[in-house]
Amino acid sequence: MSRSRLVLVLMLGLLVVVSGVFAAPKQLVVGCLEPLTGSYAVFGTEAKIGMEIAIQHINAAGGIKSLGGATLKLVAEDCGESPDTAKLSAESLISKNKPVAILGLYISRLTIPVSEVTDRNKVILVADALADNLTQIGRRYLFRPSANAGQYGASAVEFVVDIAKKKGVAVNRVAIINEDSSFGHSVAMGAVNAALKNKLTIVYQKEYPYDLSDATAIVSDIVAAKPDVVFHCPYFMDAILFAKTIREGGRIPKFVAGMGACGYADANSIESMGDTDNFYTNTYGYNPEKDNAANKKFVADFKAKTGHIPSDAPGMNYYAMWVLKEALELSGKLFPKDPLKPDNLREAFLKLEITSGPAVDTFPSASIRFNSTGDNPDAKAVVMQVLDGQTRVVWPFETAQAQAVFPRPDASKY
Amino acid sequence: MRRNSRGSWLLAIALAAVAAALPLAFLRNQYNLILLTTVALYGVLTSAWNIIGGMAGQLDLSAGAYLGLGAYTTATLLLRWNITPWVGMFAGGVVAMGFAFLVGFPLFRFRIREVWYALSSSALVVVLQVVFLLWKQVGGPMERLLPSASFSLYNLRFQSYLPYYYIMLVLLLATLFIAYRIRTRRLGYYLLALGDNEDAAEVLGVDARGSKLKALVIYAFLVGITGGLYACIYGFVHTSFFSPTISMEVAILGIVGGLGIIYGPLLATVILVTGRELLRAGLGGRLQSLYLVIYAVVLILIALLRPRGLASLLGAWRKERR
Repeated sequence: MSRSRLVLVLMLGLLVVVSGVFAAPKQLVVGCLEPLTGSYAVFGTEAKIGMEIAIQHINAAGGIKSLGGATLKLVAEDCGESPDTAKLSAESLISKNKPVAILGLYISRLTIPVSEVTDRNKVILVADALADNLTQIGRRYLFRPSANAGQYGASAVEFVVDIAKKKGVAVNRVAIINEDSSFGHSVAMGAVNAALKNKLTIVYQKEYPYDLSDATAIVSDIVAAKPDVVFHCPYFMDAILFAKTIREGGRIPKFVAGMGACGYADANSIESMGDTDNFYTNTYGYNPEKDNAANKKFVADFKAKTGHIPSDAPGMNYYAMWVLKEALELSGKLFPKDPLKPDNLREAFLKLEITSGPAVDTFPSASIRFNSTGDNPDAKAVVMQVLDGQTRVVWPFETAQAQAVFPRPDASKY
Repeated sequence: MRRNSRGSWLLAIALAAVAAALPLAFLRNQYNLILLTTVALYGVLTSAWNIIGGMAGQLDLSAGAYLGLGAYTTATLLLRWNITPWVGMFAGGVVAMGFAFLVGFPLFRFRIREVWYALSSSALVVVLQVVFLLWKQVGGPMERLLPSASFSLYNLRFQSYLPYYYIMLVLLLATLFIAYRIRTRRLGYYLLALGDNEDAAEVLGVDARGSKLKALVIYAFLVGITGGLYACIYGFVHTSFFSPTISMEVAILGIVGGLGIIYGPLLATVILVTGRELLRAGLGGRLQSLYLVIYAVVLILIALLRPRGLASLLGAWRKERR
């Protein structure tokens, strides 16, 4: 073999190897920034598990087809619970791993400084923090598939209006109370707007600190205002406190509807309240009982890993990852030359209209799309009610598993 | 002695020059810049804490209170009256200082010290948090956002951390210089005497109340200014800025660094804040919360092996050389 021929063969060989490298499916890094330590670690850890399961499922189903079957890889960092660690974690994750998108942060006051970082770096941030103001501060690369806090409050009101009409119960006077975090405040504002829209009279409204030790004063004020329905956005312990105080007082309104209240219809609250928790409802950004194969698969895998069914945080991040997958898929189709360019991916997010597939199968309502602020106008929360020590989806009626009990059978006349 | 002091000055200036040159090496990486800025920020807090906590020996746990006051003053001035944070942060310092005076005066007048001083100062943080939560015109439950801008000198809002780092560095040098001036003046000797044995110092004619009050007020002023910068760096203010965690952290770093030694808290901050962040970035996502365990073990080890603080390591090394 002459020398030049040898060179030619070697070069051909090299070309094959190189093209082989290029043809192999790429791996795209997705960042996970969640509070894995501190007082929100419970939610952050489960959110991360939701993302991991979603990535497993996406990769097993063939990755991003329009990007040649590219697979996703999750890189997680702990964002702590203060703005300094949050900003450090975002800069660290972006500078070391160049992710196509970041999911997370769960807490809105951490999402605000971090979204400044992701916007500067043009990295998509799929947020699971719910406070309304997050999408009102002009961030270009922030998207939130789930219902926001205001929609949680509105959903609770709409549920009560719907069920009252269905059961022929008169509901006019309502009380709205909430714990005074930015989340609680946003939820209550959503409820106030929805109540006014539905021509309900707000007879009592109160914000209180979530760690209050005695609810007697507020409960007696509520009773004195004689509302038909109480809308309540509590945290955990205060929900239990209110439920017990209302029961002990013996003057029970027609209905108490929780909104964004982890203390009313979670497994933990049923355990700590027993039958006091009966008939309480709550709004959720994820519906673990939605009846289809994709959702069942997620619930089963999550249960195998943790021993319990997924709550809001993992559920929201599971479908958020699928939304990201759909956006990458669309970007690959719309911009085959440069699908990962941040502005192209952003464009794809804005053009998304997901009405089928695992993203919607695990989503509480029927479609996912984004308006220019990054919110999903079609998002709705589902309402679950505690019936005989079990939580059951009772609203929207189309996806309900059980008839809601309304009004409360133990309601008293004022 | 005089030669030695000139040597220390030269060393200090050389270190400051290195600190000023550091970002030039990392210019393109925002992560390194925010890390440097965070270290400098904590450096100011701990060095200022050293005045009341280290020299005067008062276990102060109220850094979060003055930090929050500074942040809220700066943000409120900017958002309501469009007054630049350049003025706002000093106003924040003054507000923190006034507040420290109001609190410190009765505390020292009624001889609240030791564990009781620590408890009352930490209660202050929580009280202010609730006050600002209820004070809807200024605080309230929602975050208050500062205007965002890619570069605004007037609003003190930058996309890059480089300007913040240099501002923080200037503040750090100023803080160290103030601490040094106090340490080498009469006030410093009074404070050290009070820190050692308050009763004995008073018998010898040291004005305990006045000296401690001066130390507290200077400390509050410096932390208040830092609070204004804190709000600008993170772009918002929130009641969670009145943070017991930050207050505790500042005191721990101050103690670990070496009570009353000017460069001690800064040394501890540089080593420990950087170390913890590298551990967080390296391990935090995979082995959850392990980094905090390691950090805690390191703190305990330092406390056990070097009860006089990290700075005593340098002291020992210098003595040996002499």
